Amino acid sequence: MPYLSQLLDNKIMDSADTVIGRLEDIIVMPKSGEYVPLEFLVVKIKGNKDFDYIPYKYVETFTSNEISLKFLAKKIPFQKVVDDKFLRLRKHVFDQQIVDLSGARVVRVNDLRIGNFSGEMCVLGIDVSTKGLLRRLKMEWLDAFDLLRVHLIDWREAQPLKGTLKLDIVSEHLKHLHPADLANIIEDLGMNHRNNLVQSLEAQNAANVFEEVTPELQKILIKHWGPKKSSRILSQVSAEEIADLMKTLPEDEAQTFISYLKDNKAKNVKTLIEYENDTAGGLMSTDFVLAHMDWSVAKAVHEVKRLSHTLRSIVYVYVIDDKGVFCGPVSMRNLLVSSPRKKLESLVKDFSISSVLHPEYKLDKIIEVMTKYDLYTSAVVDENNKLLGVVSIDDIMRHLFPHA
Amino acid sequence: MRMVLLFGIVGPGIIAANADNDAGGIATLSTVGAHFGTSMLWVLLLITFSLAITQEMGVRIGLVTRQGLAGLIRENFGIRLTAFAMILMLIANIGTVTAEFAGVASALSLIGLSKFIVVPLSALGVWFILYKGSFKTTQKIFLIFSSFYIVYIINAFIIGPDFGQAIKDAFTPHLEFTTPFLMTMIALIGTTITPWGQFFIQSYVVDKGLALKDYKAEKTEVYVGAFITDIVSFFIIISTAATLYVHGIEINDAADAAIALKPLAGEAATFLFAFGLFSASMLGAFILPTATSYSICEAFGWESGFDTTWKNGKIFYGIILASIAIPAALVLIPGIDLIKIMIWSQDINGILLPFILIFVMKIINNKEIMGEYTNKPIGNIIAWITIVGIIGATVVLVAASLFGLN
Repeated sequence: MPYLSQLLDNKIMDSADTVIGRLEDIIVMPKSGEYVPLEFLVVKIKGNKDFDYIPYKYVETFTSNEISLKFLAKKIPFQKVVDDKFLRLRKHVFDQQIVDLSGARVVRVNDLRIGNFSGEMCVLGIDVSTKGLLRRLKMEWLDAFDLLRVHLIDWREAQPLKGTLKLDIVSEHLKHLHPADLANIIEDLGMNHRNNLVQSLEAQNAANVFEEVTPELQKILIKHWGPKKSSRILSQVSAEEIADLMKTLPEDEAQTFISYLKDNKAKNVKTLIEYENDTAGGLMSTDFVLAHMDWSVAKAVHEVKRLSHTLRSIVYVYVIDDKGVFCGPVSMRNLLVSSPRKKLESLVKDFSISSVLHPEYKLDKIIEVMTKYDLYTSAVVDENNKLLGVVSIDDIMRHLFPHA
Repeated sequence: MRMVLLFGIVGPGIIAANADNDAGGIATLSTVGAHFGTSMLWVLLLITFSLAITQEMGVRIGLVTRQGLAGLIRENFGIRLTAFAMILMLIANIGTVTAEFAGVASALSLIGLSKFIVVPLSALGVWFILYKGSFKTTQKIFLIFSSFYIVYIINAFIIGPDFGQAIKDAFTPHLEFTTPFLMTMIALIGTTITPWGQFFIQSYVVDKGLALKDYKAEKTEVYVGAFITDIVSFFIIISTAATLYVHGIEINDAADAAIALKPLAGEAATFLFAFGLFSASMLGAFILPTATSYSICEAFGWESGFDTTWKNGKIFYGIILASIAIPAALVLIPGIDLIKIMIWSQDINGILLPFILIFVMKIINNKEIMGEYTNKPIGNIIAWITIVGIIGATVVLVAASLFGLN
């Protein structure tokens, strides 16, 4: 089973052992998630200015020692052109960055492994190892003691990012990766690839990934897209995340981005921008489950179900009275074990008003309160005890370790 | 908000340009002035344009492709040329870091500290801060320190040299076909326009997240940066020309170069020079190993960044460690001529520069990569003249040394 680098530039002979040219490249038809069979050999024939294409079915032997055809050269229908939907292995795949889906990282193609798969010659694997690098450079002697290992990525697990691959094929596979892994991949890519990748995801998924990339990259991305294009993804991103991002932009630019958001979200973002980053107001999220005192447990559960897909996590529902004054949180656990007909009023009784935060609270104060009352999330209220938002442990971690 | 924006923009051009006047820079410029007076100023004038044009190209490629130069070379020129370019860059950069440590050693020897103590300590310090500390803060501190070059400008006015002659020399090409002259001239080019500077400015633009709409502002900043750098170079040369050249003092060590600051600082000249040389050297010693490693890993697809684990980032950390340890060891060889090391490193850079610039030219004129942002004819002309000029100077240098002209 040869590597592509061992085949390229080798002589091609016909059935009478007459040399007809040299192998310039190999053409495949890209298909997502499958080993791709070789379709054409690109041949450089001496004296011809352009390349010729030989369909792979005329190939008899295909090894690193010998490439030969089944018939005499004159009986083989050379083609002068091929469809540009095809992928050229040397031109489009060698040296490019690819996404290794199994390892969720970006690597460079050093070499390609070619071999037989259910009766057809296919591209089986991508060599991303230093050993492959040396093979390409024809300097394998540097590894005389055979210390280096070949590291192959299954072709089906890899995703070329350039060439003629369609974007929907890319996203089909990447969709299954965790947003945090996808974010890591995006951080490693060039801008065009990043752009293709993020734009090819559906808005919700793209927003999840967007929230995971570093603040610097978030800025790069929205600047690259401009306000209008950004709004598709930003509309799915939480208001607090957008507010943090907007704070890093010049004021007029931030205004433009905000003006493209929906009224409700724009309002939330504007409120959040006013708070300092390291205060409860700056950290809090305005996305949470709100419930009223006179609701039954059943109604609250229904509300949780309704909002579930829009929220990252739900630990508590936050209960207010008809004047909007915060009355206390009710845990999911409490909702689960209580009788569905019970009123929320009876569940918030033992709530201590000193366990809430105020927007101006600094980080140490927030941590003090949350540690003291063993809270995963804590409500933020204004001076009239009106509920403004919720700070979660996650928000604090993100603030402390923005690049993790 | 406005200030933040301003600082954001006043970045790559100024930093890259300022870092050009590092240990090797000071040594070379001092030598230029001390050994050849103001006769080489015309070269400086020409390369100011070259510097502006080449750095601007780096910025433009970075803004359009959002990719580092190393990755682009790999994707467009295949693996062999990439390996070639990366090996050249590694050698040149190790040479430059060696010059930085030589700078540290020379600077601190002026205040009586032995290189056998200060160089290992500085090397450890560089590694420790890169690995544990804040790269950004450290970079800023040394950048501020290295603005000490302003003293050369004040100094020059105190000496009151012959500005008329200097200006005249700046517009009068003068060549001597001797090895010292040509070596020094290539070093002068090599210290101003550097291979690593090309990689550095492009990565900086990409990492900073500057967008295409910042292009105009960036371009201005790069031009201003080139101008400031060479103004400083100009004053270092005329300072040394007016103090050392006129008295026929040749530069053999840092103490000789420090004499140039006597008119301003008197007896404190040594301390002032030591401080400046130390800061400039450390700035380079911080930037170069990391920049080198990022580029090589980008080209070969190895994992990089200080957030990777040792296991995954073996090569990334390995290159950084090697490009700190090898230079430090070289400088510690007993009896080695520190000033010569500094100038040689600039020579290696000068000789390797055309190769890197040819890659840059091929990329920037490729419509598939650059779209509507390919070079204008005037940019191409100046860049090619620079490349041809450097190649010409190198060929003449080799010929001169072959035929034993001295």
